[in-house]
Amino acid sequence: MLKNYLKIAWRSIKGGKLFAFIKIGGFAMGIAGCLLIALFIKNELGYDDHYQNKNRIYRVVMQGIMNGEQLKSVHFQRLFAETLQSTYPEIEKAGKINTSELFGAGRRALRVKGTTQNNFDEGFIYADQQVFEILELDLLEGSPENVLTNPGSIVMTSSKASKYFPDGNAVGQTVFLDDDTSKPYTVTGIIKENKEEKSHLDFGYLMALEDKNTSWTTTNYFTYVLVDGNTDIPALEKKMHLMLDQYFIPALTERGMGTDFMKVLKTLEYKLQPIMDIHLKSDIKMGDRLKHGDIGFVWLFAAIAGIVLLMAVINFVNLSTAKSANRAKEVGLRKTIGAYKGNLVGQFLTESIVFSLISFVIGVLLTWILLPTFNSIAGQDITIPWSQWWFLPTLLIAGLLVGMLAGLYPALYLSAFKPVNVLKGNLSIGAKSGKLRSSLVVFQFTTSVVLIIGTLIITKQMNFILDKKLGFDKEQVLMVQGTNLINNNIHTFKDRLLELPAIKSVSVSDYLPVDGTKRNGNTFRKAEGGNQELSVPAQIWKVDYDYINTLGLKVIKGREFSKEYTSDSSAIIINTAMAKELGFEDPLGKRINNGEEWTIVGVLDDFHFKSLKEDIAPLSLVIGNSSGIVSIKLNNGGSAGALKDIENIWQEYVTNQAFQYTFLDQEFAQMHDDVKRAGDIFNSFALFALFIACLGLFALSAFMVEQRKKEISIRLVLGAPFESIYKLLTLDFLKLIFLAILIAIPIGWYMMNRWLEDFAYKINVGWEVFCVAGGIALIIAVATISYQSIAAALIKPLKSLRTE
Amino acid sequence: MLLQLKNVFKWVNSGGQRVFLLKDINLTVEEGEFISVMGPSGSGKSTLLNVIGMLDSFDEGEYRFLDEPVHTLKEKHRANLYKQYIGFVFQSYHLLDDLTVQENLEMPLLYKKVGSSERKSLVADTLDRFNIVGKKDLFPAQLSGGQQQLVGVARALISSPKLVLADEPTGNLNSKQGEEIMELFKQLNNEGVTIIQVTHSEKNATYGSRIINLLDGRKI
Repeated sequence: MLKNYLKIAWRSIKGGKLFAFIKIGGFAMGIAGCLLIALFIKNELGYDDHYQNKNRIYRVVMQGIMNGEQLKSVHFQRLFAETLQSTYPEIEKAGKINTSELFGAGRRALRVKGTTQNNFDEGFIYADQQVFEILELDLLEGSPENVLTNPGSIVMTSSKASKYFPDGNAVGQTVFLDDDTSKPYTVTGIIKENKEEKSHLDFGYLMALEDKNTSWTTTNYFTYVLVDGNTDIPALEKKMHLMLDQYFIPALTERGMGTDFMKVLKTLEYKLQPIMDIHLKSDIKMGDRLKHGDIGFVWLFAAIAGIVLLMAVINFVNLSTAKSANRAKEVGLRKTIGAYKGNLVGQFLTESIVFSLISFVIGVLLTWILLPTFNSIAGQDITIPWSQWWFLPTLLIAGLLVGMLAGLYPALYLSAFKPVNVLKGNLSIGAKSGKLRSSLVVFQFTTSVVLIIGTLIITKQMNFILDKKLGFDKEQVLMVQGTNLINNNIHTFKDRLLELPAIKSVSVSDYLPVDGTKRNGNTFRKAEGGNQELSVPAQIWKVDYDYINTLGLKVIKGREFSKEYTSDSSAIIINTAMAKELGFEDPLGKRINNGEEWTIVGVLDDFHFKSLKEDIAPLSLVIGNSSGIVSIKLNNGGSAGALKDIENIWQEYVTNQAFQYTFLDQEFAQMHDDVKRAGDIFNSFALFALFIACLGLFALSAFMVEQRKKEISIRLVLGAPFESIYKLLTLDFLKLIFLAILIAIPIGWYMMNRWLEDFAYKINVGWEVFCVAGGIALIIAVATISYQSIAAALIKPLKSLRTE
Repeated sequence: MLLQLKNVFKWVNSGGQRVFLLKDINLTVEEGEFISVMGPSGSGKSTLLNVIGMLDSFDEGEYRFLDEPVHTLKEKHRANLYKQYIGFVFQSYHLLDDLTVQENLEMPLLYKKVGSSERKSLVADTLDRFNIVGKKDLFPAQLSGGQQQLVGVARALISSPKLVLADEPTGNLNSKQGEEIMELFKQLNNEGVTIIQVTHSEKNATYGSRIINLLDGRKI
């Protein structure tokens, strides 16, 4: 019997080629979309999943309330980790890392001793031996017991090692960072890399920590702990409050923080964040500046995957029942010659499973073809796990299940036909299942329109971000990296650059309003007058005299830094946000203190130095030397030739490292990469959904026309003009599309408002977005239906009447 | 006695009025009869045939088939009954387009769960008996009308029914093809198969042993 079912299924594919193509094609696309997203989700959920002790590793987080807002931090004191370990027996190990550019993490130039070439590279992190052990890092070479215990030790990943030591034998070699020969590093180990194992911490190098800071007020370290298996985590979190009472608060009191800040301290508490949560469930407020995923995004993706698959299944059901007119005769016949309902259900289910399995094969191929594109859109590095034992069986089972699910309704529907009705020829199929089919079309188009709305709003927000007046001028600014190699000659380098006609101004500072540059947070209080108990956390950036000019910042009160004032070594320029937090009516001339005392000489208009998701925080500028990056403002239109000239000058100063630069506007755009990605992904899946929906609509309209051929012919014979036939066939569908648009608008509006809530600076969603989204869907739908309607209105009536 | 209809009524409600399709039909059919049902269009011939074939229900009266009270049976039992004892032949052949001649013949046996080897021999016998061995791998569309109807009759007979119901079996055929089919029925009847046919043709009616005339759902 099964053999017979299979044979009939195959003939039905061969018989109705267009229908089979649309059924299988649409289904395969749905499967491909779903599979891509499933792979993405699996990848996102797979971070930090590979540790043996994954359920016992935590990152410490501190949280509290400040001015009514939640405050979160993952930065702790150097002594914090070791004090935790010695105080609480349930903490088996506590380790720390430092990822701050301020201390030399992040991007560095590396030179192997005995060679002359400096190589600009990234992924440098300071770490201690305990972290190395907590994160269960495996060494290819070197001794794991003390790989990071000695000062001057550096461990690199195997890919980095093979880059600099292609002949092997990396261990024991000496390297210099930023050409600093007074501080040699010895390679003590090579870390085994496994592409399958993903970690929230992306690094190429681990440098041994040498910080001797014993202060309880400076916080620069992420702290990780490995706890005993039986630990009651909430209880431990509570017990850890001791750290605040015994060390942190006394130290701050001694240093003399304002009483307002002491209030904040009372709200502080420690939390332990499971290591597997770090990638997807970290709050931007924690300020760890790592590249994170977003659990909300994962959920959204899962929803899209489900919907895409559902749409494909709906097409399948829709087309199967639409074809029922043709199948009805067969059903009736089979029943009169002795078929039971069960036989017919079996036959139709087999057919749908065959369709499903073929679709799965094509869908997987499609996934394989689309994966590189998807990877570049989503910024991922996903591979299809062909070789994993579960992959192919899972697909097979999924194919069977989906086939059964999609086939169940058509099977029950079709097999229920009464033979006498069918054979008498008075079966009106269209009317009976019309409602169901209509609502399925509405669902598909609602989904499509919601996705289009999403795409439009995300694109609009992205354009808003890129075009927004940021308070600094990001156009035509070149950032030359690694200029600390120039050392003391930085001023003559700057002068040489200024001689070039294409260059407007040059500033030396590696504090810039884009990610990946230095940050330095501090706490300020007033040194005189007003409420001296008030503490304001703020950035303090070391810049040079030309910084404000080069970045196009605006001083709205007071003045810029100037060499004419010798007192400017203790001058500070603050932004408006900081002036407001400090509560100054007229900040000029006021003195503030962060351990050192500064006099305010100017107030800057606020400018964005973080992602637009965040409000502009207090920030101050002081004169200082921080020479990792040189920013060059070019005159309009001069960049092409200027680049060559700048490179020539660079080579005069630095012979052993390649010229490295980026543009400020590109770096800024990259900071909002996640938004752009979200837009691209929405865009692709909106296309996907729309395509599947259109495929269904096309087939359905073809079916409708087929069904009404006789009616159309009679109308034509009676003299109906072309337009009236066209309208007759198109209007019914258009009503459905309009309904879908009406339903989609509130859903899209609600969803995208939720998304926009993440941004401190955002667009207003206007009605025009919905008009455009609706318009797009409508035009595409009309085009799809018209193909069939026009063809129908042009048929030769006699031909279809004669065959009756 | 093969079957008996007693005071059978069938009606539909149209515009508040009862329109009778069958009115007070009384009919007894003995095994081995060859009955022709005649009457003008709309007189209820096909309805009567469908009621006898248990494809259609009726509203009032009694129907006994092989002493089973059909009117009290559940749908499923009724279906079992006709599947076991009745074969259908249609005016427009109603072969399964997707299946070859051989597969069309095999289908009823498959549904009856006849074993593979027995199925094969039955199909081979039937092909042989109806002289269509050479056509066994062709699809219906590749056959002439007469050949298709031949397959239709063959399919109706393959599971050895007691009763064959034929609804204008020659309606779509030319006279020569029609004659052949009627000869075939005659021969089958001689072999003991009971046949009830609906026909418009006086000539075809004469092949039968008894004629029933219908007018407006009533036997006259």
